[in-house]
Amino acid sequence: MPESSKESPAIIIRRLLERAAVFAAVWWVVAEADPESWLFGAPFVLLATVASLKLTPSRGWRIRPLGALRYAAFFVHQSVAGGFDVALRAVRPSLPLDPEVLRYGLRLEPEHARVLLADTISLLPGTLSSGIEEDTLTMHVLDVSLPVAESMRAVEERVADLFGLDLCDTGGGIEACAIDEGGAER
Amino acid sequence: MSAIDVVSIGLIAIGALFFIAGSVGVLRFPDVYTRLHALTKADNLGLGFVVLGLALRADSAVVIAKLAVTWALVVVAGATAGPLVAEAARTSGVHPWRRSK
Repeated sequence: MPESSKESPAIIIRRLLERAAVFAAVWWVVAEADPESWLFGAPFVLLATVASLKLTPSRGWRIRPLGALRYAAFFVHQSVAGGFDVALRAVRPSLPLDPEVLRYGLRLEPEHARVLLADTISLLPGTLSSGIEEDTLTMHVLDVSLPVAESMRAVEERVADLFGLDLCDTGGGIEACAIDEGGAER
Repeated sequence: MSAIDVVSIGLIAIGALFFIAGSVGVLRFPDVYTRLHALTKADNLGLGFVVLGLALRADSAVVIAKLAVTWALVVVAGATAGPLVAEAARTSGVHPWRRSK
């Protein structure tokens, strides 16, 4: 974990205020702007800010507004498809499942982008991340006949666009996971 | 009943259907991985419809914002918890169910 003490106090205070403002805004909305609720809210905003600074001292990334819009549009459209897909599979008498464990060669490098990718694909049709090791994302797929490679590359491009990142030339491919029972041995 | 009520009730009912389908998936699907698919994806969409339906009946903008924030927090929690449970299952050696061919 990076030493936050090396940074200037001004940066740390600015970061603290930014995060406190975000948590305060969330509380303000959740408490429906009731002034009396700050009695409970203020201590928790403070605790959340301290926890956030402890867990991720430095953010080290930016979000591009237009990229965020494109990501949001993509996410809403695809997660609706994901919900429909799994709901239909659940209620159809034939239970149309053909699961497989697949590995995807990541083209995104930064940790935060990989985490967002793993979280995102878990709400899209038929894919569920089950961990990242080295440059490989392992995922459980509900039905091997789904176009997983194409959809993974599309999500990765949206995440790269959101953070303004470049994708590596390597990766972007799918292979079956050699070890059935997962990555405990790898 | 106004037109807004009809649309609102319709959206909430559709949301409930997704919650039911998600629960049916948890019961019918064969292993932890497939059940996680059902839980995270169907509930995300079901809650989305319920939130849309309730937003139509909201008295104020802050209530609409509260509904949106609630949905966002649930989506983030589901999208984070799903992969974590799947990773825990995989690294502790839980075999995925396969269709016998």
